[in-house]
Amino acid sequence: MMDESEKILLDWDVLEVGETFDKFEYVLTQEMIDTYRKGVMDPDASFPTIAHKVDVRQYNAKYRDNGSVNARCSFYCYNPPVPGKKLIVTAKIADKYLRRGKNYIVTEAVSVDEDGRLIDRVITHELKQPNEVGKKWGE
Amino acid sequence: MGGVDRNYEVGAEISPLVKQMSQEAINLFEGSTGNTGPSQFTDEETARETLGTSGTVASGRMSLTFAIEMLRRYFGGEIYNHTGFVDLRFLRPVRPGDQITFTGKITDITREANGSRVSVEIKAENQKGDTTGIGSGSAVVPNAYLPVED
Repeated sequence: MMDESEKILLDWDVLEVGETFDKFEYVLTQEMIDTYRKGVMDPDASFPTIAHKVDVRQYNAKYRDNGSVNARCSFYCYNPPVPGKKLIVTAKIADKYLRRGKNYIVTEAVSVDEDGRLIDRVITHELKQPNEVGKKWGE
Repeated sequence: MGGVDRNYEVGAEISPLVKQMSQEAINLFEGSTGNTGPSQFTDEETARETLGTSGTVASGRMSLTFAIEMLRRYFGGEIYNHTGFVDLRFLRPVRPGDQITFTGKITDITREANGSRVSVEIKAENQKGDTTGIGSGSAVVPNAYLPVED
């Protein structure tokens, strides 16, 4: 991963819809799954991939900005991941939009395991002015 | 996992799911990826600097997970884990100490090539009755589980 100083400062106006990031690979361990299940208080939770935020991971590896707030998230379940298997994630900028003077970017990622099993798809709308949360809901 | 309700009918309410949020739960969720660095979810100072809030908030992805759990319990894992979908908009922050109740109601049943898509509207409310999230979800169920059409 790049140092912060090497990252590109986000210019929302020039960010290209359709930009596809380098593939990201990781191994989902049983420990990760167990910790996730404790956190969400659900011993049967099947998609610990949600916590890995893989749709914005490669974006965050390439760009720097003022942070973000998750405004909307969609998730498609295809097959629960198997512990110990490598997961391969392809992510892209799916859309961007301006609403009430605020900038949003939409990222989309598809995860497939090392055997080619489709795992899940996640689409996230991020508000790129995170301090709006404090302005509205600060206390 | 409990019994699976297969009496799909538009207007039917599904069993609610209640979650008690804590900083420990948030830390486990965030830490499950191996990332233990400070964030707006785990560190009050980072939350103040980034969000301008007085304390930490839970990631919207935790609410997403809870909506998925509610639907998985309703449809059953053998269906929901392979055909499930959820789409949630986050309207208010969820904070440690909040109790969030997820509810759902069937809004539509549509025939598809491999079964019928049962769609559910979803709402999440905190202990004050404030809506923290709204959205929808669905799963494709075998037509054999549905009432016979006339």
